[in-house]
Amino acid sequence: MIETIDVAHCTGCGICDLVCPADVIHMERFSHESEVPDLAQHKLLPVIKFREHCITCFSCEIFCPETIVDVHPVVRNRPRPW
Amino acid sequence: MNGFSGTLIDTDILVIGAGAGGLLAALSAKRHGAPGTRVTIADTWLVGRTGHTAFSNAWTVVVEPDDDLEAITREIIAGNDWIADQLLIREVLAMSWNRLKDLEGLDLKFPKDDKGRYIRRPTRGLDETRVLCPEGGGLEFSWRLRRGLEAEGVQILDRTFVTGLMRGRGDAIVGAVGIHSRTGEFYAIKARATVVCTNAITFRSGFVRDITGTGTLLAYKAGATLRNAELSYTRPGTPRFYFEGITFAIQEGARFVNAKGEQFMPRHEPVWGDEADVPRIARAMAIEHQQGNDPLYLDMSLVPEPVRETFIKSKVKWMEYFYRKLGKETQTEIFGSTPYYPQNQMTKMGIRTDAACRSDVPGLLSAGLAQAGAANHFAGFHIGMCIGTGWIAGRSAVEELDRLRAPVLDADEVRALHAESNRERNDAEAAKSDRVLRDLQALMFAWDVSVWKHAARLERALDRLATLRETFGALRAPHTHELVRLKETEAMLLAAEFILRASLYRTESRLSHFREDCDFRDDANWLCWVDICDACGAPQLSRTPIPTPISAPGGPERQSVRRTIRGAP
Repeated sequence: MIETIDVAHCTGCGICDLVCPADVIHMERFSHESEVPDLAQHKLLPVIKFREHCITCFSCEIFCPETIVDVHPVVRNRPRPW
Repeated sequence: MNGFSGTLIDTDILVIGAGAGGLLAALSAKRHGAPGTRVTIADTWLVGRTGHTAFSNAWTVVVEPDDDLEAITREIIAGNDWIADQLLIREVLAMSWNRLKDLEGLDLKFPKDDKGRYIRRPTRGLDETRVLCPEGGGLEFSWRLRRGLEAEGVQILDRTFVTGLMRGRGDAIVGAVGIHSRTGEFYAIKARATVVCTNAITFRSGFVRDITGTGTLLAYKAGATLRNAELSYTRPGTPRFYFEGITFAIQEGARFVNAKGEQFMPRHEPVWGDEADVPRIARAMAIEHQQGNDPLYLDMSLVPEPVRETFIKSKVKWMEYFYRKLGKETQTEIFGSTPYYPQNQMTKMGIRTDAACRSDVPGLLSAGLAQAGAANHFAGFHIGMCIGTGWIAGRSAVEELDRLRAPVLDADEVRALHAESNRERNDAEAAKSDRVLRDLQALMFAWDVSVWKHAARLERALDRLATLRETFGALRAPHTHELVRLKETEAMLLAAEFILRASLYRTESRLSHFREDCDFRDDANWLCWVDICDACGAPQLSRTPIPTPISAPGGPERQSVRRTIRGAP
């Protein structure tokens, strides 16, 4: 299950969102101060929106060009027959 | 109706689902179609990065020119316990060499030895059949195909979740409707031929839990007949870890043992032992549990340490990450001290088609695991079937273009499907479908319902399912993410009913369907498919005799495994 995305080092490329086959990561718009008064500056950053639906496929971590995504390998919540 | 808006896309051939079956169907349609033929492929997520194939090694069966095609065909039919469209299987196998060349034409590389021969392996439960996989595994396979489709001019619709098939103003399917899986925007896709390649229903249980297989149920609602609901792909595994490669680990010496340390498989399967096909292993595990002999383990101590490393260096990218991130202690645990279970991965229920992958409904075709041509899941064979049926379905879809009248949409139908897909969303509502899904999984994966079945237990499960469906009916979606999951769970609930009813209906044991109260194969009465169609809103079950033009049951039983594989790459 996905643990963290180090957004401090994120370029906002959105690949993690694109490759997620479970709709877990959403790019969302964050505003911050700009050097031009009255001109808002925005940055798209990934948010782990539905962590509990992560399927531990590692796609976000595999394809992140900045290697800032961490997926924990042990799987939780898988059904058992007994 | 208020708020009815969306986008209309007009195409010739619509392919739904982008695993191996869908990708090959789109490629085939483009290559068989006349110049200018419009082909569209839609997937709920990113085409080329999703589907069962993308997360596998992409092992696939290839019959080389010098191989014995007839012998391979016969052993695969027998390995399906004769639940097989024999002519379709033979065609898939016969064309596999050409498909390999097609894939190489897309710059997919398949390893060869120093004499230039393809490096192939046997696969579980089969003697003659050989499988191979591309460098980079399924991710590379799927991505190369996406790039190939882009180059051929196929329209790619990422993040398009199909919610219904359209009948238009005639008897034929005239395309599909769906929503953008992130924004919820509505799409109607008008097409003359539609190919459903959405895999089989999985209950989010397999090692690729993004696959839900809803397309087969949409086809059912549109008039198609489904079959093989009583059969499943249930493989040994551990809920805590992924381990893709048990087939080959066993070839290298791994053995299943019970709590007493006994190697139990030879007791249940005297001929094949641990190399038995996965349904037989699942059956043996369920009986071991019934007899109080669990926990059950996969003993890897007989596999030499360097060979274990080959599993750690799996071609599956996510497995490479998985093993790298596990500590040494955990690696030791997975190889010996973690309990294993028979884990239900997916139903084998698919759409009934002819050997050209055409369903009973004009304009509707099917390929991949959404198609019911075979019911076993031999490692490598199922992707081989996806590749082959995808190719055949794409070719047949092109032929349909000349046969079918131009599609005409029915505005009322589109509005009704829009209303259905636009199930009321309520921001204040909490996401509750997960709870229903967990209850459904617990119901359907219980060892004595899914593996080692009994009429009384199946009846009780049907009663509990009815209660679950009532609970589900009251749920609302707070947002699009949950709406998609609700629609998927809705399909799973319907599939669960079919699985239980078909399991009750088939009063014998065959392939992956084991009845404790009918523990025998009955070829005299049950060399049949169990078909399910909609009869005025209720599922109607019937038997269809299985033709046996190539191979019929009754030949001499195999007495031993011929091959020995050690140290193969």
